[in-house]
Order: sequence, then C-alpha cells, then structure tokens
Amino acid sequence: MRKLLPRRRLLIEGPGAWLAAGGVALSLLMVLALLALIAGRGLAHFWPPDIEAVTLVSGERFAGQPVREQGLPGQASGSERLYRTGNRDLDGDQWRWVEVNAIDTRTTPEDLVIIERRRWGPFIGRLLRLEGPEAQWTASDGAALWRELEERMARVSQLRHERDALHNHRLEPLAEHVDDSAMSPSEEDELREIKARILALQDAMQRDHVVLESLSGQRLELSLEALIEVKRPNAMSLLAKLASWGEGVWRFLSEGPRAANTAGGVWPAIFGTVMMVLLMSVLVTPFGVLAAVYLNEVAPQGRLTRLVRIGVRNLAGVPSIVYGVFGLGVFVYGIGGSLDSLFFADELPSPTFGTGGLLWASLTLALLTLPVVIVATEEGLARIPDSQREGALALGATRSEALRRVVLPMAVPAMLTGVILAIARAAGEVAPLMLVGVAKLASQVPVDDEFPFIHLERKFMHLGYHIFDAGFHGGDVQAAMPLVYATALLLVLVIVVLNLTAILLRHTIRARHVVQAHR
Amino acid sequence: MTERSLSPSPWRRRFRYVRDRLFTLAVTACGIGVILAVLAIGVFLVVEVVPLFTGSASTANSDAIDIESLWLPQQYPGYDEPQYRWQANAATDADTPMFSLTPLAWGTLKAAVYALLFAVPLALGAAIHSACFMSRRLRFRIKPVIELMEALPGVVIGFIAGLVLAPYVERHLVGVFALVLVLPLGILAAGIIQARLPWCLSKRVPLGWAGLWLIPWLAGLVALTLGISPYLEVLWFDGDMRTWMDQQLGLDYATRNAMVVGLAMGFAVIPTIYSLAEDALAGVPASLSEGAQALGASQWQTLWKVLLPAASPGIFSAVMIGAGRAVGETMIVLMATGNTALMTLSPLDGMRSMAANIAIELPEAAPGGVHYQLLLLCALLLFVFTFCVNTLAELVRSRLTQRYQRLGGTT
Amino acid sequence: MADETSPRQAALHEVVQDIPREGRCFEIEELSVAYAGKTALSGLNLYVPRHRVTAFIGPSGCGKSTLLRAFNRLHDLNDDVDRQGRIMLEGQEIHAPEVDVADLRRRVGMVFQTPNPFPMSIYENVAFGLRLQAALPKRRRDEVIEWALESAALWDEVKHRLHDSALSLSGGQQQRLVIARTLAVQPEVLLLDEPASALDPISTLKIEELIRTLKSHLTLVLVTHNMQQAARVSDYTAFLEGGELIEYGATDTLFTNPRLARTENYITGRTDR
Repeated sequence: MRKLLPRRRLLIEGPGAWLAAGGVALSLLMVLALLALIAGRGLAHFWPPDIEAVTLVSGERFAGQPVREQGLPGQASGSERLYRTGNRDLDGDQWRWVEVNAIDTRTTPEDLVIIERRRWGPFIGRLLRLEGPEAQWTASDGAALWRELEERMARVSQLRHERDALHNHRLEPLAEHVDDSAMSPSEEDELREIKARILALQDAMQRDHVVLESLSGQRLELSLEALIEVKRPNAMSLLAKLASWGEGVWRFLSEGPRAANTAGGVWPAIFGTVMMVLLMSVLVTPFGVLAAVYLNEVAPQGRLTRLVRIGVRNLAGVPSIVYGVFGLGVFVYGIGGSLDSLFFADELPSPTFGTGGLLWASLTLALLTLPVVIVATEEGLARIPDSQREGALALGATRSEALRRVVLPMAVPAMLTGVILAIARAAGEVAPLMLVGVAKLASQVPVDDEFPFIHLERKFMHLGYHIFDAGFHGGDVQAAMPLVYATALLLVLVIVVLNLTAILLRHTIRARHVVQAHR
Repeated sequence: MTERSLSPSPWRRRFRYVRDRLFTLAVTACGIGVILAVLAIGVFLVVEVVPLFTGSASTANSDAIDIESLWLPQQYPGYDEPQYRWQANAATDADTPMFSLTPLAWGTLKAAVYALLFAVPLALGAAIHSACFMSRRLRFRIKPVIELMEALPGVVIGFIAGLVLAPYVERHLVGVFALVLVLPLGILAAGIIQARLPWCLSKRVPLGWAGLWLIPWLAGLVALTLGISPYLEVLWFDGDMRTWMDQQLGLDYATRNAMVVGLAMGFAVIPTIYSLAEDALAGVPASLSEGAQALGASQWQTLWKVLLPAASPGIFSAVMIGAGRAVGETMIVLMATGNTALMTLSPLDGMRSMAANIAIELPEAAPGGVHYQLLLLCALLLFVFTFCVNTLAELVRSRLTQRYQRLGGTT
Repeated sequence: MADETSPRQAALHEVVQDIPREGRCFEIEELSVAYAGKTALSGLNLYVPRHRVTAFIGPSGCGKSTLLRAFNRLHDLNDDVDRQGRIMLEGQEIHAPEVDVADLRRRVGMVFQTPNPFPMSIYENVAFGLRLQAALPKRRRDEVIEWALESAALWDEVKHRLHDSALSLSGGQQQRLVIARTLAVQPEVLLLDEPASALDPISTLKIEELIRTLKSHLTLVLVTHNMQQAARVSDYTAFLEGGELIEYGATDTLFTNPRLARTENYITGRTDR
C-alpha cells in the first residue's frame, strides 16, 4: 500500500514552476538594474569628484578625476583606470587610460582646481595667480586670492549680462528694422553708439587674467571672461560638495547646452518637450473625447461601429515611425507646403511651415495618441451604468443634456487617465519627431516676446532626441555620457510620475465603481 | 398644486430640442471626422506609393519600379553576382542608387525574432507564474511595476543598449553566454534548496513570493558569472573570445549586434506580452482549474493540461502583439545596431530595419522622388503588417473572451 | 388554450367597460414589441385609469417591464426594438411625430428597480430635472425642492444635509430621493419598476405608504413581483404571461376571485409545468 504522504521530491512544484518564477524575478531584476543605473549615474553626474594628482612609475605626473576602472582586455588579472584629465588644448585629449600597476602614488592636494571654460572643455591643474590691472594675487595669498577671484568673476558675469541685454533688446531690433528699410542718419548714430558700448563692455570683461599651470608644467593664461566656474573639489567639505551638487542640478535644469550638446544644461529641451506635449494635449483631448462619445453614445451599435472600434484600437499598435511618415507627408509637405505658397510666398524657397516645426510635431503626436485617449474614454463611458443615463432621460432630459450633465462628468477621471497616458507616451516618443520637427540645437525657443509670441513653425529641442543626439552624434561620447544619463533620468522621472498618476487615478475609478455596484 | 405647477414654455422646449439635434449632429460630425483622420493614414500611404508602380513618379529615372526588382537580387555595375543591396545615397553621380527591400525586411524580421527569442520565454514564464503561483498580494503590486516598464521610452532603452550594454557585452562575452546556462540552473538550484530547507525556514521563502526573493539570488549569480568571465576567457579562449571566434568559427563580431538588440527590444516587449498573456491565463474560469485540481492534479499539471490549452489563443495573440511592437520599434534598433544593411543570420552581426531606415533617410529624401516613395512603401509595409497582426490578435482575443463567458456560464 | 379564449376575452372586456372613457390616462391598442426579432409583447389592449394605482404582475420575462418602458418611450434608445400599435396619453398618440420625447418623459416619470441617484448632492439630484425645464429663481427652486422631498417623505431625514452626496443615503432613502427627483418636474404619471425589490421591509413599507398618498394627484403604474404588495397598494391589477395580457380587473376581484385558472395558479403559487 502506498503511503499517504508522497516521497519527498527534489522540487515541490516541478522545474517548470521554478523557471516561471525565474521569469518574474529576472524581469524585475532587469527593470531595477536599469532604473538604478540611470538614477545612479544621472545623479552622480553633478557630484564634484576629487581630483587626483597621479605620479606614474615612469615619473610622469598628471591630474585628473577617476571615472571608472575595468579589466585589461585579454588578461585575467590587472585593470586599467580611466581619468578625465581635461586640458584638451594642452594635451590634445581630455581622457587618459592608465594601467593601475603603472601608478606610483596618488594624492589629492587641496590646491588643485577644475575650471569649466567656454572653450576646450575643463582645465585641471593649479591656479598660480590672478592678475588685475592694479595688482596681482598669488597662490600664497590663500583665501584672499579666492575671494578676489570670486568678486571679479561676479563682475564679469554682470558685464556679460549687460552686454547681452544690450545686444538682444537694442541691437537686434534695430538691425532687423534696418534690414527692412534704409537707414536714417539718427539710426546710424544709434547703431554706432550701441556697437561701441558693446565693444567697451567686452574690453572690460577681458580686464583680469588668471595664470594656470597643469601638473605636467605647461602654463596657460586666460582672461576671466573665458571661465565659467572655478572649483577646488579637494578642498570642499561634504556640505560644500552637497551644495555644489544642488547647484549642478539646478544649472542642468535651467541652462542651455554647451560644447555641441556634450555639456551644459537641458533647459531648452525641457521647454520644447513641455510646449510640444501641452499643445498636443490641447489638440488630442477634445477630439479624442468627441470620437469616444460618438462611438459609445451616439453611433448605432452595429457591425460597422464594432469594426471601427477594432480599427481604432489597432492603430495604437501601429509603429510610431509610420505616424511620423504621415506627419511629414501630410502636415509638413502637404499642408505646410500649401501654407507656404499661399501666405509666405516671398520667403520661398526657404520654407516657413513647409518644414518640421512645433505645430506639426504636436499634430503628429496628437494623432499618434488619439487611440489611447479614445480607448480610455470609451472604457470609462462603458463603465457608467445604463441606469444613470436612463435616470436622466426619465426626468425629461434630452440625450445631449443627459450626456453633458450626467455621463460626461462621471467619465472625467477616465478621460484624465487617457490624456495622462497619452502625455506619457508622447513625452517619450522620439522617432516621429525626427521626421517632423525636432532640432539638435534650437537657437531660439518657440516662445519669445516677438509677435505672435508662440512660433508654431519653429523647430524645437526635445529631451528624448537630446539623448539620442548627445549620445550618438556628439564628437566626444565619453564626455557626453554623464549628461545623457542625467537627461535620461529626467525623462524617465517625468514619465514614471505621469504613469503613476494615471495608475492611481484608474485605481480610484475602479474602486469607486465597485462601491457603487455593491450598494 | 396649481401654484406650483411647472409648465415649460413651448419656446424653451423647442430650443432644447434644437440644441439636442445640433449637439448630436456636431458630435457625429466630429467623431466621424476624427475617426476618418486617424484611418486616413493607411489611405495616404497607399496613395503616395501607387505612382511608384505606375511610373508617374516625377523624377529623372522615372521608370516604373517593378515589384520583382525590389525583392530579387539585381546586377549592379562593379559586382560579379546579382546582389541584394540597399544603398540609397549614390556616392558619385555615376553610381546608381541600389534599392532592394530584401535586406531591410530581413533586418526588421531578424531584430524582431531575436527580441522575441529573448522576450517570449521570460514573459510567458512571468505570466504563468503570476497567474498560477504568485501570492495575490504580490500580484497586485507587480502589475503596476510591469506597466511602468512598458512606459519606459525606447530612446532610453536604446541609449543604454547602444552605449552601455553593447560595449559591456563585448568585454564580457563569455560571461554573457555563460548566463544562458547559469541562470536557469541557478533558479532550479534555488528551488531544490528551498525544498530541502527545514519547514520553519522554507515557509519564509515560499514559491508565491519567489518573484521577489529570487532577485538578490539572481543578482548575485549574474555578478559572479560576469566577475569570473575574464578568467574563463583566459582559460578557454586564449584570453579573447572575439579573436577566438573569428579564428576558430569564422564569426565576425560587431559591437552593436542582433544579440544586443534582442536583449534591449526583448526588454521593451516583455511587458506587452506579459500583461496580455497574464490576462488570458487569469481569465480562465476558475471552475475549470478547480475541476482539474479536484481530480488530484498538481498545480503544474493543471496549468499544463487545462489552463494553457484554454488560454492558448490569448497567449498566441499576446505574442502576436509583441511581435507587432518589435517590428515597428524604431529608436532601439536605430541606437543598438550598426544600421548596416546586412543579410546574415548570425546574432553577432548588425542589421538595418525598415523603421530605423525611415528615420535615418526620410528627412533627406526629396519628396516625390523614387527614394521617398520607396521609404513610404516601407512605412506602408510596416503599417499593413502591424495592422493585420493586431487585428488577428484582437479577433482571437474577443473569441476567447466569448468562450470564457460561455464556460463560466455553463459550469 | 382554445377553451380559455372566450372567458378571457370576456374578462378583458368587462374591465374596459368598468373604466369610463374620461377616466382613462393611458389607452393601449394592439401594442406589440419585439427585441432583436424576439417578441416581448404581442397584441396588447389595455386602459390605465387616471389617479389610480395599476399593478402589473406576472412571471419573469412576461413583458411587464417592457410594457412599462413603452409608456415613456425609453425603448427609443435601443436600435433593435421593433414596436407596433398605439399608446395614447390623455388622448394623444405618444409616437406622433410632433410629440417631444423629452417632454413626454417629463410628464411620465419613472422610478427604477435599483435606486439610481446621480453622483451629486441630494439637492442637486432633485434640482436636476428642474434646471432642465426652466431657469427658476433660487428661492422658488428651493421651494419646489422642499415640496418634492416632503411629498416623497424624505424632507425630515435630509433637510440638514441637503448638500451631502446622494450616495451617502441608505438604499430606501435613495429610492425615495429618486421619487422626489421625479416629482419635482410635476409628472402626470409615475411608472414604478419594482421600486422596492432591492429594499429592506421597513423601507418597502415606506415606499408603499408613499404610493398610496401619491395617487391623490398622480396616475401610478407599478410593476412588481410581490403579489402581496400588488394586493396592498393597487386599485387595478393586470396579469401578464408570455407577452400577453391574461387577465385585468379590479385588484380585489382579481385576487379573491380570478376568472381564469392561469391567473389563479400564478397568484396561489401553483405551476402547471
């Protein structure tokens, strides 16, 4: 007779069940790893790392920030380390791989500085002295040197601000006006005067100099105008580093890109993304809701409507690039081209609307996300019990009144869910934008103080495309990587927040309907 | 009664009636308009592509292109044999551009196949586990996480794949190949260990929560495998697997290759397949599986004999929709492959997919030209393919729902 | 069946004689309704007396709810409903082209099986229909709302929380709120589709009491499963089966002395099948 208890088996549920569990674990592991990688690298980008002064066994010295370490190719042991050494103008490259075995000593002297410059990337080395017209301060002056440097850099940025204001608000409008008509003598005087003032400001910015020396002994003299920021990470306390980190995050969010998108901030990309998404949601919400209301409330529920519903649902699965092609062919070349020949004929052959731009990109994405909104709204409408509609009608409401006063208000959360999901999808979609209007580097944001204030025909920058461009088209990918990580983190954060909102919203709707159904 | 009586004026009644008619009319017009606009995509592509075959393209070399020349190898000057080639931009005026869609279609399908090879086992495994074995509490938490995974933008996944994963895999080839063996064995080992643990310990790591507690175990295994990868490489492949493969097997290794694309795009389609397959499995009427279990079948037997056959159309449609997504995904392929139009099967070569090709070339193609129209033809093919696949999947799915309702109703 | 035809005709005919022509609120002639090709009602002839309570009883699927929904043309919403025959409200054909459906539904109010208050405040629920009909000044509207809630015997329970959500009320209160909301637009007829089937006995009692008071100025039509309820509150009762009107007469007569065996079987709970 068999025992009641089975023999103890190797696995309780059989191998399949465990492998299936592994599927969940592995998927989760990948998501977590991806998010952790992006978050870790993206946030670490703003942390000022120490600068190491490295002496090699060969006696050579250099200074740099260690980036990462990896095994030597083709060998089981030993590793090499990547340093960011800066000084591209002096050494020809700002990266250096060093075998760890070849390093003799590593120190972190407090007087090493890293200087963000307007050209040539960062400088890493020592600050020898600061030269003004009236006096000079050397490294032996200690705190006085740094105080003076800070003051003088503040002065330069004040001057720069003045110059830019003069340039943007006086020179440019004048120049534009002059383009259109002949110059009058008074205008000529004004133009001359402005130009002279700008030149004077620029001269004043050049007044002070710093003398720098790299660890390999090369000297460099730079005017303060060429510097963006001077930091001594080795001398910073933890708190100061934290402050510097916060400042870095803020500058990333608020400044424009520099050095062919490999440095600086992403403000124009944030702005472009937000503008595009806003415009898109303004377009997609009414049309999506109308189409859903038509399909669910007005159209006769026959075979045709069912087919159309399946068709619309399936359009959500059509690749986004196909929408991009449609946008390019219909909006840009079709409608944009006709608009150009009708209203902007004197600007041809250079296109105004006949090229990618904010409006076309928003329209294309609106089309792309229409199915999302329609499906979500329809789902919401279908969840509303018929008794509510009948209740309104039985009180003498017409169909439109029942719809407007009872049905639509109840479907609002579902519509919101749809719109939020649409926004989340649109914010991450890059492929169609490459066809209909994104720019690597837009000199102007599509909003300014010039009539009509919002320039729908202009190209714009986009966070997602910024990732693609900086990571794949930039010259120095290594330098761009931290920035790309930070941008990716920002994009993922935005999308995660939007999706979480949608999920929570949907959850509350379902919960509410369950409560109602139980009553 | 009379003083309270409410007598709506005929004028107001009329007004409300007219307003209702107008509103209905407006909604109908708008609704139909929007739906037509959305459906116009297919029409537009067809209209633009037709001149390609009738020969009315407004270009210099405006012979109608016959369908054969797009799909069969062609004789080009400078080559000995007929070739499949896609080379749109002639380097000099003397060169003729070479338009063969075969390598593009090949690249598209190759990327999709490798992605599915990676995604389908994982996603179906995950779906089976969460539908049948996972604790309910965990299941409700996992779903939103997977939904979030679906929302991760392609450009971010592509960037990680192209700039981080590809060079890393190149340096840890042995480790990555070893993982294919190590991970399943590791999971089984975890199962065996769990069964051997004393009850007081093993109840803390139940199968229902394996989706969570396996994560650190697997992470450890991955780290270990990749960590010893250089030693293995020295031990077995003279220190460099790439050279070894090149010499011994004659395999070329491209940094950005089909394997990396498969991993990245597989990652992107896992959530799609998972959530649809999970819905199908969880939707099987409980009476069916309870019936099987009442007859003494184990959970795994029930799954294999009852649940999977019942849900197989749903699982099929999940895979189809996943395939549709993989075929149309642009940014991942664009960023994680070299975008060279090769026609090889090797997972270590790159490829160029239709979607990526459109993204690269369409902005430069002159509207109305042959090149432009061919790219639009690519878009049309993508559109038709995904639309058909999705429709098929949708039909299968709605049949399945009906069947479930019948089963749920009769038993 | 054949031998039943003549007494049945006689039974129907007698009631027709009972109600004087000027007392008829609804007159139904040869009404047939089919849902998607399936017959729900066939060849119905019926008069509903004014300012009385008429109850429709019969087994599930006998067509009594269908009949009720025909009175306010709620079937118009369905595309696959086919209707033939005439329904006259106060001598006017309700399907005539010049009839405004919205106004018809205002005149013929309806209360459903499960309470369906809108997800708004109590006040807004009652004000809903009023706002549609006319832009009343607020004071006047408040008066009407108070009157409607009082008529539905709900005022005392909710007068201090008019702006709470209607969903916070109990089931019985919700149903009375729905009645109040319907009364607010001054209907001539009130259709009640099993109004108490989802309620507890005490709430049911309150609703029944309400029905008896309302008939002083309203025509009420009640569909119910509950024979005792029909006997308690209605003046006339119609028994339907299989989409046909079997017997119709004064409630007392029909319950104590049904003319037909089918009616008797149903009332006493015996089934032939």
